[in-house]
Amino acid sequence: MGSVRESADVASFYHLRGASLEGRACAGTACFVARFLDPERWRDAASRAPRVYCLGKCYVAPSVAEDRRRAGVHAVAPRPVVLERLVDASVRTLGAYEALGGYRALECALGRAPAAVVDEVERSRLRGRGGAGFPTGRKLRAVASASAAVKHVVANADEGDPGAYVDRFLLEDDPHALLEGLALAAYAVGATQGYVYLRREYPDALPILERAIAEARSAGVFGPKMLGRGPAFDVEVVVGLGSYVCGEETALLNSIEGRRPFVRSRPPYPSASGLHGRPTLVQNVETLVNLPWIVRHGGAAYAAMGYSRSRGTKVVSLSSLFRRPGLYEVELGTPVRRIVEELGGGLATGVIKGVLVGGPLAGVLPPRHFDAPLAFEELAALGASVGHGGVVAFDEHTSVRELVHHVFSFAAYESCGRCTPCRLGARSVEDMVAPGRPPGNATRFEEIVSALRATSLCGHGTGLGEFAQSVLRHYREELAACFVSS
Amino acid sequence: MLRVVLNDAPREIDEGATILDALRRAGIHVPHLCHDDRLEPVGACRLCVVEVDGAGRPVAACTTPLADGMVVRTHTPALEAERRTLLRLLAERYPPGAGDNAFLREIRAYGLEGALAGRPRPELVDDAHPYIRVDMSRCIHCYRCERICNDVQGQFTWRVWDRGAETRIVPDSGTTLRESSCVSCGACADSCPSGALVDRSTLALGPATRWTRTTCPYCGVGCEMHVGTRDGRLVAVRPVLDAPVNEGHLCSKGRYAFGFVDAADRVTAPLVREDGTWRTVSWDDAVRHVAARLQEIVARHGPDAVGVLGSARATNEENYVAQKLARIVLGTNNVDCCARVCHAPSAAALGAMLGTGAATNSFADIERARTILVCGSNTTACHPVVGARIKQAARRGAKLVVIDARRIELADYADVHLAPRPGTDLMLFNAMAHVVLAEGLVDEAFVAERVDGLDAFRDFVGAWTPERVAPECGVAADDIRRAARLYATERPAMSVHGLGLTEHVHGTDTVMALVNLALLTGNLGRPGAGINPLRGQNNVQGAAHMGCEPRNLTGMVPIDEGRARFEQVWRASIPATRGLDLMEMMEAARAGRLRALWAIGYDVLLTNPEAERTRAALAALELLVVQDLFPNETARALAHVFLPAAASFEKDGTFMNGERRIQRVRRALDPPGGARPDWEILCDVARAMGRGDGFGFGSAEGIWNEVRAVWPAGAGIGYARLEQAGLQWPCPGEDHRGTEVLHRHEFAHGRRATLRCLEPRVSSELPSDEYPFVLITGRDLHQFNAATMTGRTANAALRPRDVLEVSVADGERLGVRDGEPVRVESRHGVAVLPVALSERVPAGALFTTFHTAEAFVNRLTGAGLDAATHTPEYKRTAVRIRRETPPGRPRAR
Repeated sequence: MGSVRESADVASFYHLRGASLEGRACAGTACFVARFLDPERWRDAASRAPRVYCLGKCYVAPSVAEDRRRAGVHAVAPRPVVLERLVDASVRTLGAYEALGGYRALECALGRAPAAVVDEVERSRLRGRGGAGFPTGRKLRAVASASAAVKHVVANADEGDPGAYVDRFLLEDDPHALLEGLALAAYAVGATQGYVYLRREYPDALPILERAIAEARSAGVFGPKMLGRGPAFDVEVVVGLGSYVCGEETALLNSIEGRRPFVRSRPPYPSASGLHGRPTLVQNVETLVNLPWIVRHGGAAYAAMGYSRSRGTKVVSLSSLFRRPGLYEVELGTPVRRIVEELGGGLATGVIKGVLVGGPLAGVLPPRHFDAPLAFEELAALGASVGHGGVVAFDEHTSVRELVHHVFSFAAYESCGRCTPCRLGARSVEDMVAPGRPPGNATRFEEIVSALRATSLCGHGTGLGEFAQSVLRHYREELAACFVSS
Repeated sequence: MLRVVLNDAPREIDEGATILDALRRAGIHVPHLCHDDRLEPVGACRLCVVEVDGAGRPVAACTTPLADGMVVRTHTPALEAERRTLLRLLAERYPPGAGDNAFLREIRAYGLEGALAGRPRPELVDDAHPYIRVDMSRCIHCYRCERICNDVQGQFTWRVWDRGAETRIVPDSGTTLRESSCVSCGACADSCPSGALVDRSTLALGPATRWTRTTCPYCGVGCEMHVGTRDGRLVAVRPVLDAPVNEGHLCSKGRYAFGFVDAADRVTAPLVREDGTWRTVSWDDAVRHVAARLQEIVARHGPDAVGVLGSARATNEENYVAQKLARIVLGTNNVDCCARVCHAPSAAALGAMLGTGAATNSFADIERARTILVCGSNTTACHPVVGARIKQAARRGAKLVVIDARRIELADYADVHLAPRPGTDLMLFNAMAHVVLAEGLVDEAFVAERVDGLDAFRDFVGAWTPERVAPECGVAADDIRRAARLYATERPAMSVHGLGLTEHVHGTDTVMALVNLALLTGNLGRPGAGINPLRGQNNVQGAAHMGCEPRNLTGMVPIDEGRARFEQVWRASIPATRGLDLMEMMEAARAGRLRALWAIGYDVLLTNPEAERTRAALAALELLVVQDLFPNETARALAHVFLPAAASFEKDGTFMNGERRIQRVRRALDPPGGARPDWEILCDVARAMGRGDGFGFGSAEGIWNEVRAVWPAGAGIGYARLEQAGLQWPCPGEDHRGTEVLHRHEFAHGRRATLRCLEPRVSSELPSDEYPFVLITGRDLHQFNAATMTGRTANAALRPRDVLEVSVADGERLGVRDGEPVRVESRHGVAVLPVALSERVPAGALFTTFHTAEAFVNRLTGAGLDAATHTPEYKRTAVRIRRETPPGRPRAR
């Protein structure tokens, strides 16, 4: 294992360097909307430095680091892909994983040409599950066709979007599935070194992942010849130091390299020039966990599920205000209403005002749009997003002004500072809507929101703008009360 | 060619451009504050966002590559509104008040002056640096300072701390810029668009009102600069962005050390010393006096009793006139210049082996080389802009081999650093050649086609195994092998070298041994390769090339070869006697054979070795004329006449840099008082001596046109063409584009070059029990040679004195403390220097600079000379150290 390696000035970027998570309360969005359940804990979360945005325990929000309760896991898709092994179980050892057919996909792939794996993934029409929804097969093909002596594959285990915790459960309860997915990706693109970039907020995942890698090494799954017959492959875990933006792939690569994790301008894309300038495939955990299933059952079987251009399944993470919080693997295209009302059972605490799907830096979905399908283009049309699959509902305990303050406060805290709109705009709005402040100028608010959406360098700023825009769109009346018109 | 539509107008733009490039080419201004052509775009400020049809959101013009068919709009109401919002966000944190910078110009353009509302933050002001004022309350976080420091200078001084709205940009000292690793190149202040980093001179003297493009007066890199003047005063220097040599970069000397032009002790009227006191005289009197005294001495002792020293600081035109005057007015070939004390061995070696005594390639080849071999050159200190380019090449993955006795800064970036004992490079190169042959790394095709003498060389070098030379060089045999393999296999491999190779008793042979390596490995005649002496002074290449050389005429033509042609142009005869070089002149002066010396822009006393013997030589002269800006040590101690000269900022002409590039020098301001360009003074004296016919020049250009008439390889380099850009000779015709790489298909003297079998010579400066240390002398980053110029600027604050670098191990052994003054004694003299304990000097070696008269380090250096060229052995003097205060006894307070 390595930690992010850097000089003191770069280290100062990360808020959790040297900080202990012991006794820390979470300041994430699910905990924020559930703050009234334990006001004292929330006060602690919001006031103590450094802030901890999302420990991945949204199902018991407001949460603390020590809470080891597990979330309910439900595989409701017609053919579960990601969560099948985890319903009331965990698969932490190599033996247990193999007993369930683990590494058979890798075995099968090694008997075929790498291009066959790429073809299969393309056929599956799988899209990245980390937020952007980029076709995974196309990314694989780009890295596979780049000519370079050394290539890398990186698992993005920096599940930073407050509200999503599927990757934490996969990392902690099904580590070999991630490793097999990573090995398949490496074989497909011709990489021999893999990395898992693990966020600091998931400390329990580290020993489990390390043990799984050690097991895979000693069993000869990894090493100079994968499974004794394939090309060389090994995996290193790099632990982050606290920074939401490191979930963005180019910032993540900079972080592994020990550089300040600013996003890189593209082109060149990581598939051409990524880690240390080499062609690099970056995929999030859930995406990679899909790969073994796709290789074993065929891309067509995967693509048979889904809706419109969103194929296969997606795991959604329901937060604590639902009657039945937990992880649900659903077929893409499932109406949000089914997720909220049928699976989640609606809210236990009051009348639902809306849900944040896919993290706070995306749109809010009000109840009148709950019939929308959980699908990339369809949610985007409503100003929302599939994102990471976090589903955080809020009720009348939370005013729109408070929600806006929470999200801008989070975004300002996590802004890298590279581009003007995000560095200054996020903080300006946070100050404008801070509790106790006189009403701000509505025009100025809208100008900053517009600049965030239109001019930000990366998804952090544009996502923040999209969030605010969807609030303006769906909650204009309540919001207007927070501002004076100029 | 890409077809695009920019604001409704169809355009055709070359591929490879960004949208911003295209907009600028089309004359469309979009605001941008984080962009700098010297840097990779990062898209931080976001002001340059434009709308592109089909793109979901606006895109940053600076980072987005132009694509065929793009339809771009730059000033829609929406975009302008976003820009206004962004500028307002910046303005709210920026202090109100007057000022002029790119940021404030945009603020005014958008009518946002009223939005400037930042509060003063005195804690963010740092006034400690002599040249750069820091006020981070004016920082707009474009990151240009940090990026240019990293990606151009390679210094990593500016560090970014924290993140988001709390992001701070701080020097690596954590305190002031003065205390940081800053090398004062000024790139950050040049790039800063918001007044956070400002040149102190601009604050003190006001912004420049006129800018004149010229060439730097310091080292031989030949950086182009814009000289800013205001009310006839020099107030600022900025790098030229599109200069091929420096690509928008400068060093602490070029960028900031210009204050000497109006230093208080600038001499502005001619002086004649009578009975020990200086008397101011008119130019007429001075010229008549010098002419009469010279005529008298020539009449009495013959023309060869007179010598002239041209100047590496003066223009090509002036050096041409100086040697012409020596040869046809005074009638002697006793004319030389300071190339004698630096790279004469390189010129001799390259001339003898390849036919042209100059660098084979160009600085741009640094970016083309896969391996760079740096020998005997502390490049980042002495040729900082080239040093920075090498650092960046190494960062980008070029292999770097450093051969230097000291662990110089570039060694930190090197794949292999060989630290041979001073003067042992020749045997090291022989051993590298041995490895190349023994391991079959010879470029067989190249050698077969273009190289002679391989069999004899193979026999010779067979005995020079790495194991044999390792003990004497103090280098591990395996490291020699690694270096040789890189140079021979990771090609093209480019060699750059400095005076660490040449200032030895076998300096010429050492450079020849290096040329052997290039011949064996085919690293000649192609881009990214070659043998490239880094010339020490702005025009040292030109001074010698123009004929300030006893044996050569203009164009490095041996006298007998060029005599007829030159005599025809000059309509005068060239003397037949063999001329004396600088070191021979000193000998002749001591012997009473040389009676008069005219030294132009040259502090002979301070910079020649064996200072006491130099003093004796100069004291024996009947007439010593010093022509300079300042009363240098030579003038102060011994001159009879002082002729005040114009600085290069005050005259027109050309310099020739180390890569054979002729570049214009342009007059940016008037010389003070009666100071005059060297060429005018020379022509006046020629006229006063009755030889006005060949010296009736009316301008520098007129002189240059005569140079072109006698020098075929420069015939195509006219002033009109130089207005566009410098040109590298050979450039024989107006339609010739100049020569970046020499010897492409054949060598200057023919198809084939011959390998040389070279044995090292024995130095009389080997360490002994009595003198156990080897002293190396050289230059520092902030000072320049005799410090005549830099010593009169705030660079003196950056490097106030010469210090003796002592290895930490020796320091501990001797019990000397940092800063403690010690007596350094050689067989030739004594100097007292403060100790600077250093990790970069190996045990047994010492290093010091020779910049100041206070230390007068050349009292220590000896009589050893390069056998072929008489270049002094500055790089190896056996010395011992005596503590000024015996250990154990507290120093008196």
